Amino acid sequence: MLNIKSLKASIDGKPILKGINLNIKPGEMHAIMGLNGSGKSTLANIITGRDCYDVSDGDVIYKGDSLLEKSPETRALEGIFMSFQYPVVIPGVNLTYFLKAALNAHRKHRGEEELDAMRFLKFIREKIKQVEIDEKYLKRAVNEGFSGGEKKRNEILQMITLEPSLSILDETDSGLDIDALKIVANGVNQYRNKDNSFLVITHYQRLLNYLKPDFVHVLIDGVIVKSGDMTLAHKLEEKGYGWLES
Amino acid sequence: MSLSHFQAEFEKMMNRDYFSSSIHPMRNEAFSKFNECGFPTQKWEDWQFTNLTSLQKDTFRISELKDGPTQKIDLSPFHIDNVANIVIYNGHFQKDISHFPSGINLMSGLDYLESKEWKYNNTYDSPFDLLNTAFMDSGMSVVIDENMTINTPIHMVFISNSNEPLMVNPRVHIDVGDSSSATFIEHHVGVSSSFFENGSIFINLEQNAQLNHIRIQSNSTKTISMANIQAEQSLDSKYTFFQYADGGQLGRLNMVTRLNGEGADCNLNGLALSKNNQHLDHHIITDHRVPHCTSSQNFKSILQDKSTGVFCGRTIVREQAQKTDSKQSNKNLLLSKNALMNSNPQLEIYADDVKCSHGSTTGELDHEALFYLRSRGIDMMEAKNLLTRGFANEIMNAIRHNCTRSFIDTKFKHWLGDEV
Ligand SMILES: Nc1ncnc2c1ncn2[C@@H]1O[C@H](COP(=O)(O)OP(=O)(O)O)[C@@H](O)[C@H]1O
Ligand SMILES: [Mg+2]
Repeated sequence: MLNIKSLKASIDGKPILKGINLNIKPGEMHAIMGLNGSGKSTLANIITGRDCYDVSDGDVIYKGDSLLEKSPETRALEGIFMSFQYPVVIPGVNLTYFLKAALNAHRKHRGEEELDAMRFLKFIREKIKQVEIDEKYLKRAVNEGFSGGEKKRNEILQMITLEPSLSILDETDSGLDIDALKIVANGVNQYRNKDNSFLVITHYQRLLNYLKPDFVHVLIDGVIVKSGDMTLAHKLEEKGYGWLES
Repeated sequence: MSLSHFQAEFEKMMNRDYFSSSIHPMRNEAFSKFNECGFPTQKWEDWQFTNLTSLQKDTFRISELKDGPTQKIDLSPFHIDNVANIVIYNGHFQKDISHFPSGINLMSGLDYLESKEWKYNNTYDSPFDLLNTAFMDSGMSVVIDENMTINTPIHMVFISNSNEPLMVNPRVHIDVGDSSSATFIEHHVGVSSSFFENGSIFINLEQNAQLNHIRIQSNSTKTISMANIQAEQSLDSKYTFFQYADGGQLGRLNMVTRLNGEGADCNLNGLALSKNNQHLDHHIITDHRVPHCTSSQNFKSILQDKSTGVFCGRTIVREQAQKTDSKQSNKNLLLSKNALMNSNPQLEIYADDVKCSHGSTTGELDHEALFYLRSRGIDMMEAKNLLTRGFANEIMNAIRHNCTRSFIDTKFKHWLGDEV
C-alpha cells in the first residue's frame, strides 16, 4: 500500500526527517509515537501533499507509484486521507456543501454518478450517526464553533464519507475526553477491514488500547529508532522515551 | 472633459424645451457652485486614491431623445422575480414597460422638486451632487404616505446602450412616511462603449419608517459610475442598504447617512468584485447626531488581476449621541498579487458612553484552508472558488429580499467563472 524509502525532508533549510523507512501493507494499522517536534506531522503532511517541505532524498510509493509529484487532490482521490491534527475553520462554507463537494469529487473519480442534494442528505444522515454528530452541525460553516472533540469527530466523519484506502490520523486523540475518544475509536474500528490501511500518530497508548495496531514505531528527531508491536507502546507509557535516546 | 465642454452641454440642457424652465434657477445655482469647486483632484483628502482623469478623456454629451431605444427592450437578463420594474434607458423613462406597486406616488425628479418648491436638503452636496442637480435628466421619485406597507419591491432598471460617450444624471428622491415600509432596488446595467452615470439619491425616512435599499452596479466596464446617496433618518426609522458592484471601469459610492432621531438604525453593506483594471471605491459616512441609535458598516471587496479598491468608512458620533452602538468592518480578499486595496475605517467619537468597534483585514486566500479542501479531493480551482464564495456568503445574508439575493448569487457565481 505505502512504502516510504529513506525519506529526508527539511523546512526552511532545517532538516526534519532524516531518513524514514516504513512499509504499510493493505489492512495493516501502524502507529507512530514520539515527542512533540519529532517530525510526525511533517511525515503525514508530506504523504498528503502539503507543499512547504523540501524532500531532499528518498521516495514515497503508494500503490506502486511515487506520490511526491502529485497534487494533494490527486492523492486524496487515489485514496489517501489525513485526519488533521488541527482541523481548519472555513468561514462561510457550509459543512454539508463541503462534504458533498468532496464526496462527489471522489465519486466522479471512481466513475460513479454524483449524488444530488436529496440523495446526499440521506447518505450523510446515516454517517453522522456513526460519529454521533448532531444534524444541526451540517448547516454550520466547516468547523466553525466546533469544540475540539467535535472537530476531531468531524475528521472521522470525513474519513468514513470518503472511504480512503490509507487513513492517516494525526493526533486525533489529543484533547478528547473518554467518551469522544471511544466514538473516534469506534468510527475507526468499524471502518477497518482487510483492505484499508492506517497510520495512527499519537502520544499516548490510550487510543491504541482501543485500536490495537499491528505495528508500533517510535520516531525521535526525524528517525524511526525502534519498531515493534503493542508491547512497545506499553513500555513507552511506563518508561517514557528516555531509554530509547542514544 | 474640460469644464468648458460641460458649459456647452449645460447650455444644451437649459435649452431643452421638454423640461420646465421653472427648474432653471436651481440648475443655474448648482452649476455655478460646481464651477467654483470643479472636479475633485487627488489632492482632495477624500479623493486621494481615485483618479478622475478618465472623466476628462471622453467628451461626454447629454442624452437626447434619439438615444432612446430603437427596438423592444429585452429585460430578461435583468429579471428579478416578484418586483415591479421601472425602466430607464439612456436616461429616458420607458413608460410602456414600467409598472409600479400601488400605494406609492411615482413622479419625475422635476415634478418632485417642483412639489417641494425647488427645495431639498443640500447642505452636504458634493461636486457630483451639484453636477447632478445641474444636469438631472432622469430617474423617478417615490413618495410613500404614512402607514403603508409596500410589499412589492420597486425595481428601477437603468440601462445604458450607446456607441457614443453619453452622460446621464439620474435623480431619485425617496420619501417614506410615518410607519411605512418599502424595498427599493436600483439596478444599473449596460453595454455602452463609453458612459458617465452620475446618480444622486436623496432618502428621507420619517418616524418608524423602513427602507430596504439594494443597489446592483453592473454597468459596462467602460462606464464611470458615480453614486451619491444621502439618507436622513428620523425617530425609530430603519434603513438597510446593500450594494453589489461588479461593473464599471471606475465605480464610486459616496454615501452619507444621518441619524437624526433617537432609536434609528442604519445598516450599510456591500460586496465589490473587480477584475482587470477596474477601480471600485466606497466612501461611507454614518453620522450619529442623537442618542440611542445603532449602525453598522460591513463592506467586502474581492479583487482580481490589477484591479484596485478603496474603502473609506467614517462613523461620526457627535457629543450628544450617547449610547450609540456602532460596528464597522471592512474585509478584502486579494486573488492576485497585482491587486491593491486601500482600506481606511475611521471612528470619530465625541461622546463618552458609546459602544463602537471597527476592524479591517486584507489578505489572500487562506493557504491552510486551501490545503484542507484539496486534501479532500477538491481541485485547486474549485477549492479557491469555494473559499471565495465562503468569504462572500456571510455578507450575502444582508440582502433582505430572497429573489434579489438569488439573482445576485447567480451573478456572483458567473463572476467567479463557476458553472451555474
Ligand atoms: N511550517 C513550519 N515552519 C517551520 N518549522 C516547522 C513547520 N512545521 C514544522 N516545523 C518544525 O519541524 C519540526 C517537526 O514538527 P512536526 O512535524 O509538527 O512535529 P510533531 O508532529 O512530531 O510534533 C519541529 O521542530 C517544528 O518546529
Ligand atoms: Mg504534530
